[in-house]
Amino acid sequence: MNAFALALRFARRELRSGLAGFRIFLAALTLGVAAIAGVGSLGEAFLTGLSEQGRTLLGGDVRLQRMYEPAGEAERKFLASYGRITESAAMRSMAADAKDQTKRTLIELRAVDRSYPLLGETVVSPAMPLQTAISCDTQTCGTAVEAALLARLGLKVGDTIHIGSSDFLVRAQIVSEPDRISGGFTLGPHVLVGMDGLQRAGLITPGSLINYAYRVAFAGNAEPKDFRNEVAQKFPRGVWEVNDRDNALPQVRRFVEQATMFLTLVGLTALIVAGVGAGQAVEAFLERRRVTIATLKAMGAEGRHIFLIYLTQIMAVASVGIVLGLILGAAFPFAVQHLAGDAIPAPAHYALYPGPLLLAALFGALAALGFAVPPLARAREIAPAGLFRDLVSPSSRQGRWPYRLTAAGAFAAIAALSVLLSPYPWFNLAFLGGTIGVLIVLRLIALGVRWGIARVPRRRSQSLRLALANLTRPGTPAAGIIVALGLGLTLLSTVTLIQGTVEAQIEDQLPSRSPSFLFVDIQKDQADAFSKRVQSFGTNTDFSLTPMLRARIVKLKGVPTEKATIAADSRWAVNGDRNLTYSASKPNNARVVEGPQWWPAEYSGPTLVSFDKDLAKGMGLKIGDTITISLLGREIDLRIFNLRDIDFRNAGLNFILTVSPGIVDKAPHAFFSSVRVAPADEDALFSAVSGSFPNVTVVRVKETLAQVGEMLATLARGIEIASLITILAGVLVLAGAIAAGHRARLYDAVVLKVLGATRGRLAVVYVIEYGLLGAFAGLAAAIAGATAAWAVAHFVLEVPFVFQPRTLFFTIAGGSLATLFLGLSGGFAALAAKPAKRLRNP
Amino acid sequence: MRTPSPASPLLSVTSLKKSVPGGRVLFDGLDMAVAPGEFVAIMGESGAGKSTLLNLIAGLDTADSGSIAIRGTVLDGLDDDARTKLRLAAIGFVFQAFHILPHLTLAQNVALPLVLQHMKAREAEERAHAMLASAGLSGRGNDFPRALSGGELQRVAIARALVHKPALILADEPTGNLDPETAARILELFATAVRESGAGVLLVTHSHVAAAVADRTLLLARSGLREHDGR
Amino acid sequence: MQERDAREQAAKPPSILLEDLRLTLASAAGPVNILNGVSLTVARGEAVALLGPSGSGKSSLLMVAAGLETPTAGRVSVAGRVLSGLGEDALARFRREHVGIVFQSFHLIPTMTALENVAVPLELLGRSDAFARAEDALLHVGLQHRLEHYPGQLSGGEQQRVALARAIVHEPEVLFADEPTGNLDGATGTAIVDLLFSLRARVGATLFLVTHEEALAQRCDRTLRMKDGLIVADTLILPRIAGEGDHAQHGGGG
Repeated sequence: MNAFALALRFARRELRSGLAGFRIFLAALTLGVAAIAGVGSLGEAFLTGLSEQGRTLLGGDVRLQRMYEPAGEAERKFLASYGRITESAAMRSMAADAKDQTKRTLIELRAVDRSYPLLGETVVSPAMPLQTAISCDTQTCGTAVEAALLARLGLKVGDTIHIGSSDFLVRAQIVSEPDRISGGFTLGPHVLVGMDGLQRAGLITPGSLINYAYRVAFAGNAEPKDFRNEVAQKFPRGVWEVNDRDNALPQVRRFVEQATMFLTLVGLTALIVAGVGAGQAVEAFLERRRVTIATLKAMGAEGRHIFLIYLTQIMAVASVGIVLGLILGAAFPFAVQHLAGDAIPAPAHYALYPGPLLLAALFGALAALGFAVPPLARAREIAPAGLFRDLVSPSSRQGRWPYRLTAAGAFAAIAALSVLLSPYPWFNLAFLGGTIGVLIVLRLIALGVRWGIARVPRRRSQSLRLALANLTRPGTPAAGIIVALGLGLTLLSTVTLIQGTVEAQIEDQLPSRSPSFLFVDIQKDQADAFSKRVQSFGTNTDFSLTPMLRARIVKLKGVPTEKATIAADSRWAVNGDRNLTYSASKPNNARVVEGPQWWPAEYSGPTLVSFDKDLAKGMGLKIGDTITISLLGREIDLRIFNLRDIDFRNAGLNFILTVSPGIVDKAPHAFFSSVRVAPADEDALFSAVSGSFPNVTVVRVKETLAQVGEMLATLARGIEIASLITILAGVLVLAGAIAAGHRARLYDAVVLKVLGATRGRLAVVYVIEYGLLGAFAGLAAAIAGATAAWAVAHFVLEVPFVFQPRTLFFTIAGGSLATLFLGLSGGFAALAAKPAKRLRNP
Repeated sequence: MRTPSPASPLLSVTSLKKSVPGGRVLFDGLDMAVAPGEFVAIMGESGAGKSTLLNLIAGLDTADSGSIAIRGTVLDGLDDDARTKLRLAAIGFVFQAFHILPHLTLAQNVALPLVLQHMKAREAEERAHAMLASAGLSGRGNDFPRALSGGELQRVAIARALVHKPALILADEPTGNLDPETAARILELFATAVRESGAGVLLVTHSHVAAAVADRTLLLARSGLREHDGR
Repeated sequence: MQERDAREQAAKPPSILLEDLRLTLASAAGPVNILNGVSLTVARGEAVALLGPSGSGKSSLLMVAAGLETPTAGRVSVAGRVLSGLGEDALARFRREHVGIVFQSFHLIPTMTALENVAVPLELLGRSDAFARAEDALLHVGLQHRLEHYPGQLSGGEQQRVALARAIVHEPEVLFADEPTGNLDGATGTAIVDLLFSLRARVGATLFLVTHEEALAQRCDRTLRMKDGLIVADTLILPRIAGEGDHAQHGGGG
């Protein structure tokens, strides 16, 4: 206790002169804590939003949905036995200005029954109950629409629009829907009508792509899993898609998962890099205090005094940094909300979350402790005489084992806490393991560099020799710089490479020679007239008219898909409905790579299927195996006849399943078409088709691509901002490392100047030295970053990794330049100093 | 004792004035001339400005007024780079605190002035080794300064000061950090070496023993330099 | 009376007892032998000067004797305590009770005022009157008007005076001084030396002084010379002060 009081007194005296010497330490700790606090708070905001609003988002406790057919009597009775139900039917369609039907645009139409919504409230403007807005009288039906539709058609509330074969009066504008997320990707503005309105529009035709959804709000204490079990028993597999309140909107959940993982990546890396910077700052600080420590020891201060005096100072400064970091971190979610709230396709509850803040404070304290204790423990042990001698090489004597244990314990605690408390512990574990791996690799590279440099044969350039000598001097910060810079650059490369991979993935999915239009829901009896009309445009190319159905793959070789072994990158094909078509002869753009080219034109036996070769591999299927699909409630077996190599870039839609006619074509279905025309003809074609075939949904591909492009841009911006934070941390560490060697460099520079080295000459030496450092660090980072990005793409995102040499090059170049700039600015400061002061007898 | 030849002075200082940032005037109207090969000692109390005078002559500092010329080249009009080049070509330094760079070997340290003059590496290091030998440190060119005593370090410094055959040596309290016995040996080495090289020397000291080696001793006071007779 | 003092002095244990000290340090060029078997006895109250060329090991000998460095071999006893085998903390405790040190570079703590600097040894001893006594000590060195000044605001001579005050404020048995005037010019140096001797007389401490100035060595009772890690000469100097007669000679040490 006495020693502590004494230490406190001495520490206070040293801190009296201000925190100037602690700038880098403070900045590093603030940054690290802010990063963890910020990403933790944001992640918590997402997760809270998701779990709080799960039920509201779903619109009930459970939701059943399927294509084509509404629920039958028995099904409705079953659903009603659980509680209140509401029915809705959703499809894509076209809406036009009733007065001038040449003005048409694509919409997402949803018809709801009178019980809708079960939970929450649909807010419209002018304020009125939704049911009032969408009710029908003998003459007209009403509708509520999103503002985007009014903008596109140049209309306002009170005007009339035309959907299908009927007029609808726009009674209100949709302000918010309880079960739809704002933001994210939609093809068209939302339009709400009543079920009878949908009937009147005449859009319910056999085979039209209508998605019927039934939401149930449980009356009693039933659990969703009981409901699921009953559904599985009562109904054939694959007929209904079931979601419950605990996993509403899986796409949203997936987004939140990925976003949180990414944020964690950034946060932890920033903390680690900042921690390294803090550690360097502590070492530099203790080096500056070396003589004072020796003097205190000479006066009779024991090791524990020294330890406490300086630990107190460091932790006091650390506290300031932690508080600052917490403030910044807590503000972060609000900043995100302010800047990008509308663009985020997930519900988020933006608030102050004490949990992540406490964790961040704990991490900050542990990190400060972990990085401060080892150098302090070393300083504690050194005999005063050694401290007084002007040691250029640091003592290699380790501290006593209790201190080393404390430091190791602090780091282990951080690692354990981050893994245990994370929503995705395995990810954190993998990340921490990966980071340690990267640090080891960087350290090895740093050692290798020193080894290699020592063996460089005599060069003619003297500047190079001086630079090399500087790099390999004992106590050089070179190793620290390589590690610090390498770590920061590694993250930057990883992030930008991932970004590029994802972009490429999306671009890959978009047609490279895209059609101008996609047409959906062409009825059988319209097919001929439609083809003639479209092909009457002289500039048309790539016209296709294919039957289109939706079916779900439910069994592979007789094994239900939940139980079958399916590769990670083929999973998507069994999650939900797929496009299905039939053809008696081989389609033009089909590339058969295995098996006979096609079945005979007159074949009408058991249904054969031409399947995608990559999916077949991922599912362990070969020619002759059976895939079972569920189509309109029926299970149909398909025998694999041949395998195609589907190029996902050259078609508007992809048909993984192309089957032989005979059974499938008997199901009610519509047709799908795509065509390319010259830009000059686009408007005319649009008017012609939508005028003559009002039930056909027309998608203008250019608009769609533009929307996707905007989304990508926002995503990219977000990623860049996140990477900037880590770069900032890296720069700090770099600055710290360079500052650590500053005094020695200053001394050298002055002596050299006196001996006759011009500033230009010295600058050349610095440029070479820091340029080399930056290049080595950049190279190490490029290797580590590419490896890490590959790992993330392959294991986490499950997309093929795309290597981008340009990105890597700019990363390396950027890092080297940053090192150069920082080193030179420090060096020039050195050169400007008056030699006289430096050379006075020390 | 050599007689100075005023006709072509090695170093010529005229009406030099210098004050410290606080305003105190160190000296005003200082005149001095050093002939080629002449050994001049300057004594004075600490704080009188002896080191500052050396800095001015070396071109590391600028005077308030007055003129300094080395081998006829006037310093005043030159910019920093030009003064640095002149320094490199014409001057060698010996400091009280040695100022040997810790991360270079002894030979590399000694070779520095040659390296800065763009001499080839091999040649420079050969001359450095030779210079170290004549300073009594033969065979130790590849050691690092860490292992050396004060006297040995000063030998290295002397070797470095002479390796590029400068015309003028500036020495600031070269024996200040050495005990009397070592100091005597170093002075002996220093005196011999510079006389062999033919360089002129300006030695600043407050030790009479050190000053005794010079041809001529001056005393620095506020009014300027005057001859110092007593020993 | 002086004879009785002398007998009393001789009966007390020696202030410094060194037996066959060796010190070897590691360097890039291999191990360097700094001390090669130094033996020495310094009686209580003696003033000893240690002269020698640079590289002779005299500063290192002071470091070992003051407990600032652990010898590679040999035995060290100071102020009746055996230092050999003590850990750093024990050495620190020993120093704060029995030893005062004055360095060539002053080594004041730059973030503390003169008063605080002088108080440090007493604070480490846990004395409640630390600051009062520190003020007193500063008065004795003539710096009573500089109590709140920081070392950066003091001249070289003033800093060394603070260091002197710090070295005797806890009335140590042994006073070590390593080139105390090395960084000071002539006039200031002389003043410091005068102060050093008067302070040590007031406190009655043994003085172990490392220097290369013969004149300074002459003011001590005894001069040792070192060369290449060994003591090669040990002279006894009789102080001749007119009118006081002869003192009994102290036993010479080996």
